Amino acid sequence: MEATRPVVEIDHLSKRYGALTALEDANLDIREGEIFALLGPNGAGKTTMIGCVAGLVVPTRGTARVLGHDVQRDYRFTRRAVGLVPQEINYDPFFTVEEILRFQAGYFGVRLSDEKLEELLRAMDLTAKRRSGTRALSGGMKRRLLIAKALVHDPKVLFLDEPTAGVDVELRRDLWSYVRRLRERGTTIVLTTHYLEEAEELADRIGMIDRGRILLVEEKRKLLERFGQKSLHVALAEPVHALPPALAGRGARLLEGGCAIEVVQPAHEELGPVLREVLGAGLHVRDVETRRSALEDIYVRLLAEHGRQP
Amino acid sequence: MIALGPRTLFVKEVRRFLRVPGQTLLSPVITTVLYLVVFGFALGGSMRQVHDVPYVTYIVPGLIMLGVISNSFLNTSSSFFMMKMQETIVDLLISPLTHVQIVGAMVAAATVRAAMVGALTWAVAAIAQREAAIPHPLYAIAFPLLTSIGFAALGLLTAIWAEKFEQVNFVPTFVITPLTFLGGVFYDVQRLPGFFATLSHFNPILYVVDGMRYALIGSSSVDPLVGLGFLVVFDAVSIAICIQVLRVGWKLRS
Repeated sequence: MEATRPVVEIDHLSKRYGALTALEDANLDIREGEIFALLGPNGAGKTTMIGCVAGLVVPTRGTARVLGHDVQRDYRFTRRAVGLVPQEINYDPFFTVEEILRFQAGYFGVRLSDEKLEELLRAMDLTAKRRSGTRALSGGMKRRLLIAKALVHDPKVLFLDEPTAGVDVELRRDLWSYVRRLRERGTTIVLTTHYLEEAEELADRIGMIDRGRILLVEEKRKLLERFGQKSLHVALAEPVHALPPALAGRGARLLEGGCAIEVVQPAHEELGPVLREVLGAGLHVRDVETRRSALEDIYVRLLAEHGRQP
Repeated sequence: MIALGPRTLFVKEVRRFLRVPGQTLLSPVITTVLYLVVFGFALGGSMRQVHDVPYVTYIVPGLIMLGVISNSFLNTSSSFFMMKMQETIVDLLISPLTHVQIVGAMVAAATVRAAMVGALTWAVAAIAQREAAIPHPLYAIAFPLLTSIGFAALGLLTAIWAEKFEQVNFVPTFVITPLTFLGGVFYDVQRLPGFFATLSHFNPILYVVDGMRYALIGSSSVDPLVGLGFLVVFDAVSIAICIQVLRVGWKLRS
C-alpha cells in the first residue's frame, strides 16, 4: 500500500493538569484521507489530544503539526485546516442557523457562498430551520448545526469529538453516512468515541487510549484479523449425544442439549473444513450462524491486559 | 481595510446588542432621563446655578459619561461571559483570529453601543433644555470614545476572569457605580470639605466627567488635556492586558 503523507503529526505530546496527567508522551500520525477512530473510556485523554491540535489546550510538552505546520507557532495556518465538532453542544440564542454559519465562516476569513450554505443546510437536514433561532432547535438539530459550523471553511481534517453521544439511532446512521461522504471528498476524519460500534462501522484505523497513554494504533481490518475470532453455531435438526471426533479435535462444544454445535477459531481461518466435517459426520443441519468477535471484545481484552475495567 | 475575520466578529457583536435594543439602548437612556427629571428639574435643580450654568445643564455631561461607561463595560462583559457559559467561545478559540483582532472587534462593538447611548442621552437632554450647542465638539467625541475603549477592555477582562454571573456584576456594582457617583456627576467636587475634595482627585472618573463637561458646557475644574492623557494611558494599559491575557490563554485555554 502506498504510504500517504500524515495530515496530523503528534509528537511526544504530554498534558498535565497539576498532579493529573491527561496525556503522556503521545505519538500519532493521521494519514491523509483516512477515518481514524480514537477509542478509550471517559477521561482517557481523547478530548485533550484533539484540543491540543485544535488550539483549545496548550500542551505541557511535545508538539502537534497539521500539514507540517506547528499548531502553536503557525496557528493561523493550522486552524484554517482544522474543523472541530466539540463534544458539548453550544449555541448562541441571539442568532439564526444561517447567521451562525455565516459568522463562523467569517471568523475563518471565508465568505460563505449561497451554494455552500445550501449544501451544508441540506446535508445536515437544517434547510427548513435556516431562519429559526437556535433555541428552537432540537438536541439533534443543534448537534447537526455544530457539524455544519465545523465544515464552513472546508477543513482538510475534521475532528469529531463523540459526535453521536446522546443521538438517536436514525440520526447516528445519517451522520455516519455523511462522514463517509466527506471522506470520499477528501476530508481526513478523526473521531473519538466510546461507542465501539461506531469505530467498527466507520474507521480505517483505530487507536486505543487509556489514562493518557496510547495503547495501540492499528488498521481496523488487521486488528480484527489479529485479535479477532470467528464462531460458527450449527443448529441440528436432530440432537446428538456425542461430538464427532474430528470436531472434538477442533475444540467444538455441544450446546442446547445436543441440538447445536459451536466452534470458535481465529478469524483468519476458513470455516469450510468445519462444515465439511459436520456434514461428513452425517449430521442434519437446520441452520448455520457465524459471528465475528467484534472490536468490543478486543477492546475489553486489551484494557483488561492493562489492568482496567472498560 | 479590515480583514473579514475581525469584521465578522465586530458585526456579530453589534447585531447582538441591536437584537435587544430595549435592553441595550433604550433602558440606559430612560435611566438617564429619570436622573435628569429628578435631580435636574424636580429637586429644584432648574433654579440652581453651578459654574454659571443651570444645574440641569451641569449634570448632563456626567450623565452621558455614566451611560458610556456602563454600556461599554456591559457590552463586552455580558457578551463574552455568555460565550463562556454557552461554550460558543470555542468558536473563537479554534478560529485563526489573532488575539489583537478578537480584542479589537469586541472593544469596537462596545464603543458603538456606548456612542449610541451617549448620543441618545445627549439628544434627549438637548430637546429637554432646547439647547444643542457644543462648545468643544472634538472633545465631545474624544472623551466618550476613549472612555468607552478602556471600559470595554475592562469588561472583557472581567468576563474572562469571572466564573459566575455575580462576579461579572462585581465590577460595575462595587467599582464603577460608586466611583461614577463620587466622580462629580451631580456636584462640583471642589465644594466638598478639603479632605474629600483631595480624595476625589484620586478618582479617575472625575477627569472623564470633568473633561466631558468642558466639551459640552465649556468649563471644567481640571485641564481637559490631563483627562485625555489619563484616558490614553488607561486605554493602552487595559487593551495591552486583554491581549496578553488572551495570548496566555488564562481561564480560556487549558
